[in-house]
Amino acid sequence: MTHKHVLSSAYKLIGIKSGVIVAAIIALALLPLYGSAHAINVGILVFSYLALGQMWNLLAGYSGLVSLGHQAFIGIGAYTLAVVTVSYGGGFFMSFLISIVIAVLFSLVISFPIFKLSGVYFTIGTWIVSESVLMFFRNWRFVNFDAGMNITRAFRIPQENLYLGALALGIVSVALVYFILRSKMGLSLMAMRDNPAAAEVRGVHLYKTKLICFLIASTFITITGVLLYMNIAFVMPGPAFGIDWAVSMVFIVVIGGIGTIEGPIIGAAIYVFLRQFLFNFPGMSLIILGSIAVIVILVAPKGIMGAIHGKFGFELFSVRRKMED
Amino acid sequence: MELFVQSLVSGILLGGLYAAIGVGLSLVFGIMGLTNIAHGSLLILSSFFIMIFVQAFGGSIILAFAITIVLMIAVGVLLQGFLINRVISKGAEPALLVTFGVAIIIWNILEFFFGANFFRLSNPLTGINVVSTRWMIIPATALFNLGISTVVILALHFVIQKTLFGRAIRAAAGNVNAAELMGINTSRTYIYAMCLALATSSVGGLLVGQTFGFFSFSGMGYLIIAFGVVVIGGMGSILGTFLGGIILGVAQLLGGYFFGPGVQTLVGYLTLLVLLTLRPQGLLGNMTRK
Repeated sequence: MTHKHVLSSAYKLIGIKSGVIVAAIIALALLPLYGSAHAINVGILVFSYLALGQMWNLLAGYSGLVSLGHQAFIGIGAYTLAVVTVSYGGGFFMSFLISIVIAVLFSLVISFPIFKLSGVYFTIGTWIVSESVLMFFRNWRFVNFDAGMNITRAFRIPQENLYLGALALGIVSVALVYFILRSKMGLSLMAMRDNPAAAEVRGVHLYKTKLICFLIASTFITITGVLLYMNIAFVMPGPAFGIDWAVSMVFIVVIGGIGTIEGPIIGAAIYVFLRQFLFNFPGMSLIILGSIAVIVILVAPKGIMGAIHGKFGFELFSVRRKMED
Repeated sequence: MELFVQSLVSGILLGGLYAAIGVGLSLVFGIMGLTNIAHGSLLILSSFFIMIFVQAFGGSIILAFAITIVLMIAVGVLLQGFLINRVISKGAEPALLVTFGVAIIIWNILEFFFGANFFRLSNPLTGINVVSTRWMIIPATALFNLGISTVVILALHFVIQKTLFGRAIRAAAGNVNAAELMGINTSRTYIYAMCLALATSSVGGLLVGQTFGFFSFSGMGYLIIAFGVVVIGGMGSILGTFLGGIILGVAQLLGGYFFGPGVQTLVGYLTLLVLLTLRPQGLLGNMTRK
């Protein structure tokens, strides 16, 4: 086979892939028409967790920022929703807008101290930030201390709307990470990951690149937090800022494959279905999830997608540029 | 004014306990560059072991403590030998995530068996005050904690600095390849280090269990205290943990004195964040990696 043939078959494969992706998106968007209530509910969870996982992947897998503190942003989203709709009588659109503003401001403020830390210190720093925010909310009279708030306006949202919102969020998160990686910033990130010193010498702004990724991820996780709590409709500081969110993000990315775009998609689906299945074994679910995560790190450090890619060379979303004629 | 002095003194005494909580984490980080997120959960695990053995063997807390140390050393061998040693060479993140997974497993197993109940180890010193004046009250428990923690930290310092075993540990911490060329089995050294850390954590588990009591999920809170102690004192500096414990303890209690007891923990965390930003290597940090 000549060089041209290889290329044209590669293009054909890309054509097939885009067709499959578009068909899958249409099928998923029409799910409310044919799916059961249970399927829609699972769908909300899968796509919300996909957005969370994908953003954590952008941080840990591509920017080298392993954060165990992004549950702070879920809580911020949840409380923004509660305060805007309950305390001020605002709408959901307003909640999303305000949550974005707060998320950006808060990430900018905390980026000054925590971006001075690197490696494990960064991880610990983010976690302590999150715990501090938790403590702050527990002592804040305005949000009813530890007793929590009922998000009364969210009681009667049709599940279909939440599903479409979650689906949009999931798709946008995947597309966003894909385009970031295909852009100049993606090259910067890869250069930074492979050799920070060399990247900096060649003109990559390490601080700026990391900060942009951090801002994007934090904002998206906050929006997802708003959406998740439109479904839960009751917010308390403990669960909203709980380490469980970080556990789920880590699990989804590690199982699916850290540093791959497909990984969090597989991971989120596995995570939600496992949680549903393990619901029948109360108390055991996190033990089993934790054990699976540990085993995967030991046996297949690159996760399911890393193992598939290593064996078959298959990628759904290739971020590598292919050579052109 | 009396309350201020009392807060200061209590802070220093609390710092002694905090140092005992943090020293194991510092040891593990200094030697293998591992941030052991399971540290707090392992510490609470030892508290539960002590409680179980006190009930099982007729109420002797010393016997129960001795059995717990042996058991925790066995846990250390398993944890380091079968899990962490397999990923430690692949960089910081995989090992960090493995310990994160182990932390979640331990805490949920404890929750599975013991629910959300509060437990406390019996403490013969409860209610006894060594000093009781208008200016300050020093409870016997707090003084005992400070004393034990001082002994443990000095002993650990002596072992690391003065013995052949300690020299092997420091060699492995300094340069893995050179240490291996000199005939040191670094994997085995790491196992010893983890066992040493878990033995000291059992002491922390005993003191915490007697002083504060514990829940199945208390481990994560103590992990952050341990981080605080270690980060302030300098990761890997054994004597630094003592300083870190006292600074964190004093900061928390003075924060409670100035802003009310509700925000005590928050003040501790914020102090930690500020110190982390100003001096990431810690006050006495020397064995830092990277």
